[in-house]
Amino acid sequence: MNCELAHERIVTAAYGELPDELAHELERHVAACPDCQKEHEKVLALRVVADAHPVAEPPPNLIARAHLRLDETLDTLPPKRWYERLGERILNSFASLQAAPVAALLLAAAGAGAGLLGGYEFALNRAAHAATTARTAVPAGAQVQPALALPELANVAGISSIVRQPNSEIVAVSYNQLVPRHAEGPVDDPAIRQLLMLATEDAASPRVRDDSVALLAAECRTGHGCQPSGIREALMVALRYDRSPRVRQKALEGLEPYVADDVRVRDAVLEAVLSDSDPAIRTAAIGLLDPVDADTSVRQVLYSVSNSDQNSQIRNVSRQVLSRVPEIQ
Amino acid sequence: MGGASREDMSQGQERAQNRAHEMDLIREAQAGSRAAFDVLVRQYEHQVLRLALHLTGSEPDAEDIYQDAFLKAFRYIGNFRFECSFYTWIYRIVTNLCLDQLRRRKTRREDHAVVVDRGGDEIDVLASVSDNRSFSNPARELDRKLLGEKIQAALTKLTPRERMVFELKHYQGLRLRTIGEILNTTEETAKNTLFRATKKLRAQLAELR
Repeated sequence: MNCELAHERIVTAAYGELPDELAHELERHVAACPDCQKEHEKVLALRVVADAHPVAEPPPNLIARAHLRLDETLDTLPPKRWYERLGERILNSFASLQAAPVAALLLAAAGAGAGLLGGYEFALNRAAHAATTARTAVPAGAQVQPALALPELANVAGISSIVRQPNSEIVAVSYNQLVPRHAEGPVDDPAIRQLLMLATEDAASPRVRDDSVALLAAECRTGHGCQPSGIREALMVALRYDRSPRVRQKALEGLEPYVADDVRVRDAVLEAVLSDSDPAIRTAAIGLLDPVDADTSVRQVLYSVSNSDQNSQIRNVSRQVLSRVPEIQ
Repeated sequence: MGGASREDMSQGQERAQNRAHEMDLIREAQAGSRAAFDVLVRQYEHQVLRLALHLTGSEPDAEDIYQDAFLKAFRYIGNFRFECSFYTWIYRIVTNLCLDQLRRRKTRREDHAVVVDRGGDEIDVLASVSDNRSFSNPARELDRKLLGEKIQAALTKLTPRERMVFELKHYQGLRLRTIGEILNTTEETAKNTLFRATKKLRAQLAELR
């Protein structure tokens, strides 16, 4: 160890930052070197002398004053808006990405490569497809005959399959067409009923759902072929899930004759009592439970609703039904 | 031996709990909670003022640094990414502000040998520190006061960065590694800066020997 290095290490050692193995080596050197001994003494002396300018604890008044001033300033700052915080988060995420530049570069390169390759493949396929169509539709020397007439293309709902014949440029394309149709017949006609049941699930049109549920409910009320797995099920689905209270109300009316005999219908009505968003439907559903109020699950639901429901009218109606069951009182 | 290791373990657990609690506070402050930020301020304000006061030797300057540091922390706490401890982060803000102050002073050639209070009156820091040593007496006190002034004068001769490294190592007792983190440099550079600072101080104070 030379003296220059020793001088540096003497300072490090004086502040307790020299590793043990280096400290032993330094100790041996200092013991044998009068210059470094002097240096060592001077550094220790500086440590003692420097302590004559001690670190004073900040006066409590200064702390209190500074804190108060900070509070006052912070009070005047407008709170950060949600988009400012969002911006900070995005910037932080970006900064994290910056912290891994190689990974970011690789990711960007991979993304760009995949994009270029995908674009190239797409362009290639498109060009091939265009060439094939042109050759199929336009034989050499013939007049242009499109495979499909334009009015038919407007009715194409989607392509279901594309098969290219082997060793040929002929392609078979299967497609679906949207063609408006009209059906007419009695309500109990199986095809009409099927269409009506399909209409109960038509999410786009509440009016169509309303009409179909009204017709099916009327069929059920009159007992015209209201089979458990057919119309009845459609009405139960409408009661449970339809967004329109009008539709749910009609479905409930259609299910009325089956509450006593069909447990599944009873369960659907109990669900309506407990969780339907419309109080009128809940009240009507409680009214339907009158003939089956001796059923344990019905009593439990009514008891729960009569005690803890937020709607006072629902509580009263359920109490009235319960009051007609002596054993519960 | 076993008792000591148990004590170490419980201290380690306590530190981990404190760190977890501090991280929760930072996240709350990042979500806009003033109360959480206030707890963080109270946790560090003492150390911030102590450092600023010793470096600047002026209560108004220390108060300004405190104000600017915590305002910056409040404004940019959303950018804190938990890559270092909050302690390092807040010290980084404070040391930067102190370095700016020292650089301004260097250009103005100010030379504060005594602490200045809010009213502009001079306060003798040395006199405010009690001396419990058995040899304490008025003559000795005068010597200490003069010595303190000389040291302050010698410290002002250092570059702001040397002054900062010496302050953080000698007076605040931080590890060189932490000093490197705070000043955005390496431990090795911090060590070299400390070496240069001690060399210059010894040259300045040579007459005292």
